[in-house]
Amino acid sequence: MFNYKVQRLLNNLDKAYQGPIIPMKEWDTRIIPKTIKGILKKYNLQNTLDMENPISSNDELADTFFRAGWELALELGLYCEDTERVIKVTEEEILECMRDYPSQLILGEGQDQVVMKPRRPEDPHTPLLAASLGIVCSEENYLPLVQGIVKYNKLVDVLHGPTLATVFGREIRSGTPYETLMGNYESHLKKEALWRAGRPGMACTGVAGAVTEYGHLGGAPAVAGQGNVTMSLCPVELKCTFSNFHRIIQGLNYGHKLRIGGFSYIGGYAGSPEGAALANIATDLLIPTILQADYTSSYVYDIHLFGNCGRKALWANSVAHQAVSRNTGFMRNKIVNETGGPCTKMFMYESAVGLMNHCVSGASKTTQPRSAGGRYTDYITPMEAWWCGDVFKSCAGMTRKEANEIANKILPKYEEKLMAPDKGLPVNECFDLKNQVPLENYRELYTEVREELIDIGMPLDKCFGDWYMGKMEQRHRLFV
Amino acid sequence: MEELLKKISEVVAEGEAEEAVALVKEALGKGVGPLTILNEGASKGMDIVSEQYNLGEAYLPELVLAGDAMTAVLDVLFASMDKEELAASRVGTVVIGQAKGDVHDIGKNIVSALLAVNGFEVHDIGTDVPVKKFIETAKEVKADIVLVSTLLTTSLPYLSDTLQYISDSGFRDKWYYGVGGGPVTPEFSKKLGVDGWSRTAFDCVEMCKKLLTDKKPGQGEIIMVDSEA
Repeated sequence: MFNYKVQRLLNNLDKAYQGPIIPMKEWDTRIIPKTIKGILKKYNLQNTLDMENPISSNDELADTFFRAGWELALELGLYCEDTERVIKVTEEEILECMRDYPSQLILGEGQDQVVMKPRRPEDPHTPLLAASLGIVCSEENYLPLVQGIVKYNKLVDVLHGPTLATVFGREIRSGTPYETLMGNYESHLKKEALWRAGRPGMACTGVAGAVTEYGHLGGAPAVAGQGNVTMSLCPVELKCTFSNFHRIIQGLNYGHKLRIGGFSYIGGYAGSPEGAALANIATDLLIPTILQADYTSSYVYDIHLFGNCGRKALWANSVAHQAVSRNTGFMRNKIVNETGGPCTKMFMYESAVGLMNHCVSGASKTTQPRSAGGRYTDYITPMEAWWCGDVFKSCAGMTRKEANEIANKILPKYEEKLMAPDKGLPVNECFDLKNQVPLENYRELYTEVREELIDIGMPLDKCFGDWYMGKMEQRHRLFV
Repeated sequence: MEELLKKISEVVAEGEAEEAVALVKEALGKGVGPLTILNEGASKGMDIVSEQYNLGEAYLPELVLAGDAMTAVLDVLFASMDKEELAASRVGTVVIGQAKGDVHDIGKNIVSALLAVNGFEVHDIGTDVPVKKFIETAKEVKADIVLVSTLLTTSLPYLSDTLQYISDSGFRDKWYYGVGGGPVTPEFSKKLGVDGWSRTAFDCVEMCKKLLTDKKPGQGEIIMVDSEA
C-alpha cells in the first residue's frame, strides 16, 4: 500500500497545514463566487445555459468549459475545513495525475468481477451500475432488499446498498459507537445477501450508512481487498475535511479502490448553472490530484428542486461531464437524484432522462436510485435499481442529439411536478420481498412506461430485449 | 429623502455592508427615524434579494452578503432606537445549527441568510453541533427560537436528544423548537413533539414568524409550513 498514492496524499495533507489561511465564510461567500464569475466572464461562458437543449452536443462549448475549469482548479485548489487553509495544486501535479491514472479499474472478484473504463461522449462501451444509494430501510427488510437489488447480473454490477434505519433495534447516532457497529453489521448483511443472490464476488463500495469515518472503520475490514471500494464525500464547494482524509487512508489500509465525491450546487456558492458546471469540472480535476481518487463521484445538483432532473441541472451536468470526458481519461461515477418515489411514472421518467444524459456524456459508472429523493424510510425496491440498469446501459452508443430529442419528449411528462414530486409507495405495497418479485401494480406500471419510452425512441429493446421482464414473475423464495 | 432610502435598499440588496451602514448613519443624522429607515429602506432591500433568490436570479452568496449587510444595519438602528421602537422592530432571536454528525451546510446557510434578511437576529452555530451547544448558545443570546436541521438519517436521533435536553434543562416553555431538512418529515416532527416544521428555506421564515405570534413554546399544535403541499 505504501506506493506513490500514499506519498502524494501525505504531501497534500502537509499542504493542508501550510497553504494560505482563509476564513471559511470568506471562501464560501466571496472567493468561490468571485473567482467563478471572473473565469466565466473571461471565457465568455455566462448565459450559455440552453434550456431547449438540456443534453448538449456542443463540443466547442465543452472544450471551452474544460479550459475554464482547468484554470479554476489551479486558481482555487481545495479548501481544508479543519485547518482553514487552501491545498493548492500546480499544473504539473494535475498533469502527473493524468499521466499516472489507470486505464481501467477491476472491481469485484471471480465471476462477479467487472471492468470500469474511461468513456467518451457517445461511447459504445457499456458503463457500470452500482445500486443503491443510501436510502433508509428497516432492519428486517435489509437482507431481502439487497438480495433483490443484485438479482440480475446484467443490470447491477456493483453493490453500494441502502442504509440501515437501526442496528439491533437501536437508533444509529452518527459519530458514535452505534455507527461503528452499524458499519460492521451492514458489511456482513451485504455479504450474506450477495451469497444468497449467488453473486459472492460482487464489489462493494464502502459502507452506505457511514456518514463519518467511524462507520467506515467498522465496516471496511469485513469487505477488505482490491476489488472493493471506499467512498468519501467532500463538502460543497471545493472543500475537504480531515474526515475525508481519514476515510481515504482507511481505504488504503484495507486495499480498497478510492471513490471520492464532491458536488456543485446550482443556487449555492457556485451560483448559476454555468458556475456549477465550472465548479464541477474543477472538482473532477482536483479530487484525483489531491485526494488520489481512483474515480470521482461528482455531479451538479439544483438546490431549488432538491434534485438534478430539471433542465438547468441536466444541461450543467451534460456540459461539465463532456468537458472532462473529452479532455481527460478520468473515470467518473455520476448520480441522478430522482425526486419521485417507487412505483411512480415520475421516478422512471426522471431516471430515464438523467441516466441517458450521463451515459451519452461519458460516465463510466453511476450509483442509483435516489427514489423519493431519499427522504422516506422503506421507499426503495429492487425495481428502481433494475430500471436504472436497463436505461443506463441501453443508452451506450446513442448520440447526444438523439438523447436530447428523447429528453425533450420525456421532460414535459414530469418537470412541472419537480417541486411537488410523487411520493410513490413503500416497498411492502409494491414489491414482494419474500418471493423477490414485483406486485401486480408495479409490474404493470413498469411495463407500461418501458413500452412508452421504447415507442419514444429509447433503445431499451435493443440492448437487453425483454429477457428479464419475463423473469419478473419467477419467484426466488428466500431462505427465511 | 426617498432617494436616500432607496439607495439604502439597493446597497443592502447588493450586500455592501460598509456602504449601507454609512448611508444609514447619514439618514439618522438628517433626522430620519430608525423605524422609517428600517421599513422603507433596509427591509425593502431584503425583499429585493429574497425575490431575486426565489426567481433564481440571485444565489446563496448574494443572500449571505445581504444578510450580513442587514445585520450591520440593524446594529446601528437598534442602538439609536428607544424601547418602544426596539420592541416594534425586533422580530426575534434564532439559534440555528446542523445536528451532530452532519456537516452539510448549504440548506442551513440559506435558512440563516433568509432569516437575517427578514430581520431576525440569527446565531448560526454551524454544522456537526453537539446537543449541549444549542442550549448554551440559546441561553447566552436569550433566544426565542432554536432551529435544528439535518440531511442525514443518522443525525435524526439528535433532533430528539436536543428537544429532550431543552426539556430536562427547564427551557421547554422558553424557546420554540423547530426542525427541518431532507429526511425530517412532518410525521417524524409531529411524533417528536416540536413546535414547528417547514419544508423549504422560505417556509422556515414563515414558520418562525408564525411561531412567535401564534403559540407559546411547547404548547398547542405543531405549526407546519409546506409551500410544496
